[in-house]
Parts: sequence; C-alpha cells; structure tokens
Amino acid sequence: MNPAAHILVIDDEPQILRALRTILTEKKFRVSIANRGEEGLALAAANPPDIVILDLGLPDMDGFEVCARLREWTQAPIIVLSVRDSERDKVAALDKGADDYLIKPFGIEELLARVRVALRHSAQAQGQKETVVKAGPLIIDLPRHVVRRDGAEIKLTATEFKLLAYLAANTGRVLTHQSILTHVWGAAEADHIEYLRVYMRQLRKKLEADPESRRYLLTEPGVGYRFLIDE
Amino acid sequence: MRHSTAPLQSLLHYVLAILTIAVTTVLLNFLRDVLDTPLIALLFLLPVGLSTAYWGLGPGILAALCAFLTFNYFFIQPYYTFRVHQTGDLLVLTVFFVVAAVISQLVGQARSGLAAATAREREATQLYELSTSLAGLQDDQAVARILAGQALQAFRLERIELSVAGPLPVNAFEFSLPPASAAPRKPERIVPLQTARGPLGEIRLWRIEPLAQPAEERMLRIFASQGAMALERVWLGQSETRARVLEESDRLKSALLSSVSHELRTPLATIKAAVSSLRGGQVPWKSAAREDLLAAVDDETDHLNRLVGNLLDMSRIESGALKPQRQWNLISEIASGVLARMRQAAQSHRLVIDISEDLPLVPVDYVQMEQVFTNLISNSLKYAPPDTTIRISARKQDALTVLVQVSNQGPPVPEEHLDRIFDKFYRVTAADRVTGTGLGLSICKGIIEAHGGHIWAENLPDGFSFNFTLPFLWDGAPPPRLPLESETT
Repeated sequence: MNPAAHILVIDDEPQILRALRTILTEKKFRVSIANRGEEGLALAAANPPDIVILDLGLPDMDGFEVCARLREWTQAPIIVLSVRDSERDKVAALDKGADDYLIKPFGIEELLARVRVALRHSAQAQGQKETVVKAGPLIIDLPRHVVRRDGAEIKLTATEFKLLAYLAANTGRVLTHQSILTHVWGAAEADHIEYLRVYMRQLRKKLEADPESRRYLLTEPGVGYRFLIDE
Repeated sequence: MRHSTAPLQSLLHYVLAILTIAVTTVLLNFLRDVLDTPLIALLFLLPVGLSTAYWGLGPGILAALCAFLTFNYFFIQPYYTFRVHQTGDLLVLTVFFVVAAVISQLVGQARSGLAAATAREREATQLYELSTSLAGLQDDQAVARILAGQALQAFRLERIELSVAGPLPVNAFEFSLPPASAAPRKPERIVPLQTARGPLGEIRLWRIEPLAQPAEERMLRIFASQGAMALERVWLGQSETRARVLEESDRLKSALLSSVSHELRTPLATIKAAVSSLRGGQVPWKSAAREDLLAAVDDETDHLNRLVGNLLDMSRIESGALKPQRQWNLISEIASGVLARMRQAAQSHRLVIDISEDLPLVPVDYVQMEQVFTNLISNSLKYAPPDTTIRISARKQDALTVLVQVSNQGPPVPEEHLDRIFDKFYRVTAADRVTGTGLGLSICKGIIEAHGGHIWAENLPDGFSFNFTLPFLWDGAPPPRLPLESETT
C-alpha cells in the first residue's frame, strides 16, 4: 500500500471528521478534511486525492452531486459513508460513480479494508490491467477463458464465465444488479434479476469450496455483487 | 287514507252501491207476488249491509236511501208510485229506513275502525322494519340509504333527498333516491332531521298527492327522528372508536418509550462504564480486561444500532410505508447469505440449510426477507441451548405457496404465548433476562404480511419452530424457469 496516499474526507459532522482524521493519520495516510460539498470539490481540485470518503448528507449540496462532479475529471475511488441505509440510495450513489458504500455506524477495520481494496483497484486501473486474477486457490485467466481451483480446471458455461470475468475484472468494487445484467446479458435484460440469482448460485457451487461461506462472491443485499480477494 | 287516494275509485263505490240495489230490486221484483212486504224489506237490508261493509259508510247510506225509494216505489202498494196507502206499509217502510240507516252506520263504523287498525298495523310494521334495518349500522351513508329507501316505499314518493350535516365537516353528505337525477321542482315537503342535541340536516320529499293528516304526518316525523337517531348513534360510535384507537396508540407509545429507554440505557450504561474505566487508567494497557471492555463497547454499539434500525422498521411497518421491492429470488440464496453473515454470532449453534435445489423462485424483497431470517435466527439463538441445531427449511406447500420453517431445539413455549410472541414488546420470559428490542418478531410478521404471507409459531416434539408461507405468484405470474446452458469452456 502506498503509505502516503492522500485521503480526502468530506463530512459535515465534526465528531466523525475528528475521529477519521485521528485514525487515518495514525495509519500513515495524508488526510484533508472538508465539511461542505463545495469546499471538498475545491480541495480535491487543488490537491487531487487518491481516494475520497464522502458523506451523502451535506449542508450545501447533495452527496450524489459531489460524486457526479468529481467523476467529471477524476477516477479516484469514492467511498460513500452514510446513515441512509436504503438500497435505493446505495444504488444511486454507485450509479453516480461511487465505488463503495458504507453505512454509519461502521467499524474502522471495515473502512480500512475498503480503503485498501479501493486503492489497489485504482492502482490496477492506472497501471496495466491484470489479466489473471488470483483469489486464494482460484485462478481466473481472463483472456484464455480458463478458471482453475488448486490447479484443476473448473468447467463453466459461457454465461457463467462472462459473469465471473466481469466481477473479477472489478475486484473489490460493488457492481449493481443493473450494471451486471446490462454487461453480461444486455440492456434488454437489465430487469431480470432472477438470471443473476440463478447464475450466481451456480457459480458459487462451482467456485466456492463451501458455497455457504461466500469468501469470494459476495452478495450486497438489494444492491448487487462484489468479487473479493481476501488477504 | 284509502278514500283520499283515489277519487275515481270512491265514485265507483257509489255506483256499485246503486247497482247492487238495482240488481236486488230486479230480482225481488220477480218474487213480489210470492213474498210478504216485511220479508222483502228484510231482504233489502242485505245489499245495504253488504254495500256498507265493502265500500264504506257513504255508499252504504246511499244504498239505504236507494233501497228505501225502490222498496217504496216497486213493492208498496200502490206500485210504481211513492205514495203509501196502508198504515202497516208505512210502518214497515219507516222501520226499514231506520234499520237500514242504523246498519249502515254500525257496519261503516266497524269498517273504518278496521281500516284504521290495519293502517296502524301497517305503520307499526313499517316502523319496525325501519328500526330493525337501522339498528346496528356502522355507516352514516348506509343509514341514509335505508332511510330513504324505506320512506320512498312507505310514502309512495316520487323522489326523496337527504341533506346531512354531521358533527364534523367530513360527515356531511347528500343522498337522493332515485340517485343521480335532478330534482323535478321544489320539494312538496321538507322535514328536519333533528335530535335532542340539535339539527342534523333535512329530508326533502316529492309526492304528487298531499300527505294525509295526521297519520302520514306523524309517520313522517317518526321516520325523520328514527333516521336522525340512527345517524347520531353511528357518529357517536365512530368518535368512540377514534377515542379508543387514540388511547390504544397512546398506551403503545408509552410502552414503546419505557421499553426503548430501558433498551437504550442498558447498552449506553455498558459503554459509559467501559470507556470511563479505560480513560481513567485503572485498566492495564495490555490486559485481558482491557480487551473485554473494548469488546463490550463494540458489541453494545452494534446493539444500539440494531435497536435504532428496528424502531425505524417498526415505524415504517406501522405507517404502511414498508412496501416490498419484489424480485424473483431464491430462498436458499437469501438464507445462506444470512448464515454467512451470522456465522460469527452463531458459533455457539449449528446452522443448517435444508432447501431443495428445485424449489422455484419466489417473488420477495431480498433485503426484507434477509431481515426475517436474521430476526428468526437471532431469536432461536437466544432461546435454544448451545450446541443444538437451528435448521432452515423450505418446501412447496402447494402450487401457490412456499412454506419456510426456522426450527430449533429450544424449550417449548406455552401454548397461550404462541400467538402473542409476534406482538410488539411481548416477551415470554422476564424482560431483564433476554436482550433484544422486543420488536424482532413483530417486524417479521409485518414483513411477511406485506408479502401476502402468514407467519406463526409452533412447538415441535423436540423443539420449537417459526413457520411462514409466501405466495409463489407475482401479480398472478408463476415463477420463471431459466433455460439451461451447457458447459462449453
């Protein structure tokens, strides 16, 4: 991990800002804080952050808008922090370009894990695309369409592979149902969430040693799925 | 009443009375030589009596007069004159007239007494019908409908309108029979709807014939007062119901507040105690005690967060804002997602999923169903002894319904509590012994019912089980079946 990664925290609650600044500085991040949307955007423009932690409820503008305005010029990962726990808000934030969504109150370990995943993902996006994804015993060779577990090839159908490849290529990111359905099945099928349910079950059965433990293929309830490589 | 209704008909009665006497005269004329004069007079009394009995006093008197004249003209010598020669005949004639008149009078009185009795009986029947149909009505519109319907029939009205002004502006309404037509002209009669407490509105009547005094007037007033009383009773009942609902919700609110303050303070007390002792420096930096205190703070904040979430969910359920976002979902996926997340918390128990692969998709809200499973499993974890099994199973109950069961090997719940454990803040054991919000199961009930399902609890031979059903159909559509794909890579 880049020890001097620059994190911009935009939140209007002083207690949260104080806690995050203390903890993140302790973890050797460079931290800037803003308690308004405009201020945050200005700070980001003046000193581009490696990652943005954003609250949705800001006094001067909507968090979704901050998200959208940041996305106009930067691909830095955005992690949304919010007390709003409705799935609609989560999906809206992800659609506006957020990479992840964490609900307050959250555990700091959880936040740090998301920050690490996001930083690694953005490092990959900037550098060369990884074509072979390794997750524990799993090896997913994207260009050659081969999946192995402990060296043994796992037979997948064409759709199963397309689904897995899309998730693995976006390791760590929450992908919404809509975006997965559009990408794998096409825009016309974007509402057929049942395809996703059934194919995810098949994939889990084939990939996960214990389909019930869900180490790699995670469900984000009501929002979508995420492929995770645990460390 | 009947006389005034049809002048034509009463004219007919007079004509009939005259005809009866004419026919009798013709018949008796054949027998004139055989019968004595007094006998003929006696026979003439028959049509007179009958006329009075059938057609009333007026026609009876007319019949008596006609009989007297024809008797004199045709049957008393000299025939075909109105003169009388013999003294005896004069006597017979006089007696005849008096008797005929008296009979007519008596029969007529009896008859009109009978008519009045019949009319009263009809009134009584109508009022009885009115009061029985008005009794027990819960709805002011229904009262108006029945009152108007019965008045229309009882008074043979052309049209009736009710204009009702209730105690509240929302109670005011108009009602007319026949419905949805404009009034032909100004109403013939307006009767106020009035109770002891004041006016409630009015009844407007349209009828061609005038109301008969005083019987119909009296009836009309009784109708109006019965209607007004029924309306008043309905409104009193409604306001009583409102008061009861308010009282009940007040009671629930104070139960909620006392429960919530208890539930909020308990974790806060733990957090406060732990944090203050950590800050106070009494606890060594690296010690098991320190770890314990920190873990307690962590657990208790989670608990507080769950409590707030439950309260929000409950208020959504109660305000009807909890609308399931249905999607075709796999029950097994939802259940195993919950198990994966709860594995840490449920280390003390064995969690097993027993759901067939070929169970069809079910149209449910993924997140809400996750919560149902989470709450039912948490509840099982609390009551079932450690190292026992908690089993989630689901099967097709019939073509329309899936039956899901979350069973544990916990102790049985007394039968009288089984229905009530889904009530808010209802606990089988004393509140202090078990942590929780007292809302988990009522949230489950709210969610399952919002999905069109049913939830209940039952004791099993070797444990306890929560059962719920969910419909397979989504707006009438059956679960989709996905085409299978072969493995080509």
